[in-house]
Amino acid sequence: MLKIGRTAAAAVLAASALVLAACGGSGDPGGGSSSGPRTLTLWHYEGADSAMGKAWAQAIKEFETSHPGVTVKFEEKGFEQIQKTAGMVLNSDEAPDVMEYNKGNATAGLLSKQGLLTDLSDEAAKRGWDKLLSPSLQTTARYDDRGIMGSGKWFGIPNYAEYVMVYYNKDAFKKQGIEVPTTFDEFTAALDTFAKAGITPIATGGAEYPAQQIMYLLALSKADRAWVDGFQQYKGKVDFHGPEFTYGAQTFADWVKKGYISKDSAGIKAEDMGVSFIGGKFPIMISGSWWYGRFQEQIKDFDWGSFLWPGGAMAPGSSGNLWVVPEKAKNKDLAYDFIDITMNKDIQNLLGNSGGLPVAADPGAITDPKSKELVENFNKLSSQDGLAFYPDWPAPGYYDVLVAGVQELINGSKTPEQVLDEIAGPYDDNLADIGN
Amino acid sequence: MSAERPVRAPGRWAVLAALAVLAVVMSSPFLIVTLNAFKSPAEYSSGGPLSLPKGLYLDGIIDFWNRVDFGEKLWNSLLISGAVAIGAVVLSVLNAYALGIGRVRGRLWILVLFLVANTLPQESLVYPLYYLSKEVGLYDSKLAVILIFTVIQAAFGTYLLSSVLGQFPREILEAASIDGAGKWRALSRIVVPISRPTLSVLLIFFFIWTWNEFFLPLIFLISNDNQTVPVALGVLQGEKMMDATMSSASALLGIVPAVAFFLIFQRTLTRGVTVGAIK
Repeated sequence: MLKIGRTAAAAVLAASALVLAACGGSGDPGGGSSSGPRTLTLWHYEGADSAMGKAWAQAIKEFETSHPGVTVKFEEKGFEQIQKTAGMVLNSDEAPDVMEYNKGNATAGLLSKQGLLTDLSDEAAKRGWDKLLSPSLQTTARYDDRGIMGSGKWFGIPNYAEYVMVYYNKDAFKKQGIEVPTTFDEFTAALDTFAKAGITPIATGGAEYPAQQIMYLLALSKADRAWVDGFQQYKGKVDFHGPEFTYGAQTFADWVKKGYISKDSAGIKAEDMGVSFIGGKFPIMISGSWWYGRFQEQIKDFDWGSFLWPGGAMAPGSSGNLWVVPEKAKNKDLAYDFIDITMNKDIQNLLGNSGGLPVAADPGAITDPKSKELVENFNKLSSQDGLAFYPDWPAPGYYDVLVAGVQELINGSKTPEQVLDEIAGPYDDNLADIGN
Repeated sequence: MSAERPVRAPGRWAVLAALAVLAVVMSSPFLIVTLNAFKSPAEYSSGGPLSLPKGLYLDGIIDFWNRVDFGEKLWNSLLISGAVAIGAVVLSVLNAYALGIGRVRGRLWILVLFLVANTLPQESLVYPLYYLSKEVGLYDSKLAVILIFTVIQAAFGTYLLSSVLGQFPREILEAASIDGAGKWRALSRIVVPISRPTLSVLLIFFFIWTWNEFFLPLIFLISNDNQTVPVALGVLQGEKMMDATMSSASALLGIVPAVAFFLIFQRTLTRGVTVGAIK
């Protein structure tokens, strides 16, 4: 055993020596050298290869050109680090000038309530950000005194959007002779054709967000905007045994029974779901636009496309994460300028052409055909007021409640009625907590 | 010598087989990480985590190195872990000398206190430490982490060393004091040299434990240029996306220093453990 350890270590040492040699010239990307008296400190947690990462890198360049003498000190952060430490960092003198932060009541809403974020209402009006963002995108940018989204002051500016759609394997559809479904009946007929041919049609993951979003989608097909406002913004009471959730849970359970969704998917994570679709193991995947750029890059073996959920006018979706300016930021004016640059047409177009979903792009400037499809579908959804947010938003810790509930539906260990009772409990508890 | 070798009983073969299985199980995560570290993202997506890479794909490791400026992170980790290991051993020796040999009044209760402090979860320490470090202006500095971990590790070290030194042969100390050695001289010329194997083991453990710490460095090292290796690895975990191949590459880079350190000092470690066993 000791010998094995030594050989492995030798191999590892050799490999790391290679790496060392290859990386000899790496410089300091933080930009420690100060060419001017001022520095804009910027944090975000998008990968450098993602659409946002590319667009924002360009925005930093433009900012430095238009602000001679100002250095941008960009630090790439981990998602978890920001989630765990934001409250503490923003309450100290180490707060950055502008940073990306998660939208929602439990995140940006909470910080705004604690007085840690700068009110951006005046800047939004002055610089016209409020005109660029459609009403459903504004929902996640504004928070009231209780930290609940949808109304009140502006505390964040979203730079991109996201929505849940149906990804499909064109080759697999052709093989079964199925056309792109435009109605819900055609969609279920397509699922049935696959199931009869012995293929499980829908790739999903019950261990994380994907499966609960399918159940929410199904519920949305019986819902209207008033129901969504009731559920998400506590405007009116939501009946978990009403037609919407009953249909959602019942249909989801039926789909598992009919073999549209695999019984094994309860333990599957989102990443594995994506990998299985990329590997061509499932013809359909119902998930968010955050996969788009990766699919563009990595699906080589078959032709793929996407269409809007045919079951109704609404789908889970919202603005992306927000730019926020901490209350303790030292260069707020520079932060506003930077946000303004990221809302520019050329940065937004770059975001769109890189596989992201811009909020204020020029539709004509999106040249890549796949990206065009993404943006056009989003515009259609947005124009029919179809962004219905995500099912786990309304209450803290609700994500885990939904994961557990949907897993029980997949396993068949509980009936849809029992599951609905189970997910109603924490929701109602939260309503009582916030005094509704 | 081979002629004298006893025939292996079947029981020993069973033990050997069990150990081999255990070795495979223990090293399999490491192997899978290594496998995926040298795979391109496309290969990972089409073949899954267990497929063999077609060629040696080094971009994941190189990109990650440049992305987080890994050399700087290595230096930070080395500095923090090294300072903590040395500081905590010195502090432990001083404490244990007083408690184990000096026989301070109420030493049992002091030791119990150290033990309790040792079992406190770090999560419960976060807020007090956060406010304290902000008060003294050490928030977001390596010194804060060094101080915190020196104390945490020394708590364990004191507990362990006190019981070791409690068994220290009295005659040697008495002989030294007859020869005119003071307390300092007894510590530096007799106690420390004799317990050196134990101290080296402590030093190595403190180094590796501090190296692997994630939670408190995550909270206290805000700026990227202060971060340690485990915190830097966290950069790759996105909100909805994870880059499996680059994560593997980073994990490989992250464990290599600890493994290397272990291999270098492995001999000291076994020696220290056996010394303790014989006594």
